[in-house]
Amino acid sequence: MSYVEVRQPLDRSWWHRQWRHVRLWRRFLAQAVVRETQYRAHFLTTLLVGLVQLGLGIVPTLLLFGFTQEVHGWSRAEVITLVGVFQIVTGLMAAFVAPNLNRMTAYLTEGELDGVLLRPVSSQFYLTLRWINVAELSNVASGIVVLVLGLVQSGISPTIGQVVQAVVLVVCGLVLLTCVWSAMSCLAFWLQSVGPIGAVYLGLVEAGRYPLAFFPVAVRTFLTFAFPVAFATTFPVRALAGDLGWSPVALGAGLSVVAVMLIRLLWRRGLRTYASASS
Amino acid sequence: MNAVVRNLRVLRRMTAAEIAQQSVYRGAWLIFMLANICVPIISLLIWRTAIANGAQLPIDERYVTTYFVLLGFVTMATSSWMAGFLANDIRLGKLSTWMVRPASLLVGFVANNLSEKFLKLFALVPMIGIVWWIFRDSMNIPASLGRWVLFAFSIVLGAILVFTIDILIAALAFWMDDVSALVQARVIIAGVLSGSVVPLALMPEWSQGFVDHQPFRYTVSFPVEIVAGELSGGDLVAGLGIQFGYVVAAGVLARLVWAAGIRAYSAVGA
Repeated sequence: MSYVEVRQPLDRSWWHRQWRHVRLWRRFLAQAVVRETQYRAHFLTTLLVGLVQLGLGIVPTLLLFGFTQEVHGWSRAEVITLVGVFQIVTGLMAAFVAPNLNRMTAYLTEGELDGVLLRPVSSQFYLTLRWINVAELSNVASGIVVLVLGLVQSGISPTIGQVVQAVVLVVCGLVLLTCVWSAMSCLAFWLQSVGPIGAVYLGLVEAGRYPLAFFPVAVRTFLTFAFPVAFATTFPVRALAGDLGWSPVALGAGLSVVAVMLIRLLWRRGLRTYASASS
Repeated sequence: MNAVVRNLRVLRRMTAAEIAQQSVYRGAWLIFMLANICVPIISLLIWRTAIANGAQLPIDERYVTTYFVLLGFVTMATSSWMAGFLANDIRLGKLSTWMVRPASLLVGFVANNLSEKFLKLFALVPMIGIVWWIFRDSMNIPASLGRWVLFAFSIVLGAILVFTIDILIAALAFWMDDVSALVQARVIIAGVLSGSVVPLALMPEWSQGFVDHQPFRYTVSFPVEIVAGELSGGDLVAGLGIQFGYVVAAGVLARLVWAAGIRAYSAVGA
């Protein structure tokens, strides 16, 4: 009698490979949820810190609109809506992406990547999405509350089409931000240590707290194409307000596809320079 | 007097050693300082837009520009990051090995603080210089050398104050198991009250009395105000007096708490 069950060899077709990765990610999520239930204090502190940071993050906006009624066509309520979207986006990034990219240096310098390369899984997928910090999802919840408050205050009532536009744009924004942060972290292949890269990302992403129109034109271009935080916050809110057509949505989707292709390329180049650290 | 001289000598040696060690990570310092100036620059652009758009602020464009350009430098120069590390050394018993040495564990932390700041300067000053050059037309640059001397003096006092506050928080580890929540709370509260998020001059009218006199103002905002603002001679003297008072008060308090902590300390691993 054998305890080894007979297994089919892995189906290597493109479609099955994608499906296998989705199933794997569901396992990661289930494991993360189970893990989180063991650390309830962690959940509570994350929640409290998130709420305080949300409150303090609104302070500059509230102070700013204490001195003026509107800035470049944005009212206070609309900027609060934007802060809600910003909170949702940063919460999602902190939950699904940050726990992985913050470990990039350790993967490369301590040779953990060796173990990953041996597994029947895309190493890039594994290093970008393996770890999930479920507690950060509480910030997504508080972000939704702020978003709804902002929408009610500003009297915006988006149609279904506009909501779809906004959601697609937020997804594009998440993909683009992940790609940019990933690309910054990939520098670890050449620089060995990129611990502080996460700090640069966190510094730059703060620009997403404010509408694109608040920045000089050159900076707007930077925040749309180089560090595309505009797709994650400004464009979705403008879509909800109904003053954005489908063309920015198409642009966002196109840029996302290009960015994903570029980051795959960069990863393969980096992997070629990787000389195992463990053996 | 002998003890002071000895400690200074130890400090000098340890700082030199730390600089040698830390300069290995010079690339990392460069990236760190880049992150350090991101948020002040974003704030600068936002407030300049608000002013250009006709917002009626109690401060003018020159003040705002000078404030945010210098902010990155002053937050770096007065920062302290040791509370978590010091608390760990207390909790895990590393303090024990230092208690039999002829210098305090704290000297090591002072050396670490000074050496990292020394290295960060090389990365940060050129960056601040570039931003300064970009906004050179709307910078407030005091002509008198005296202001700059007071600016430097006030930064030193601010750095001592932040460091002492960190000692106070970390020293709670003598009695508590986990001070990381307190450390985080300090970072968040200080962010707003020190003026590193929004210039304190923009705080609401009703809060000015409190905001102007609480200790965190003297950790970041006050040194910047010396250069950026129109502090009168009287304000300057009063401000420096209050700052000095806070440094002395925090120092005495830290000394008492630390001494009480050492007495309450039961060594781990001894």
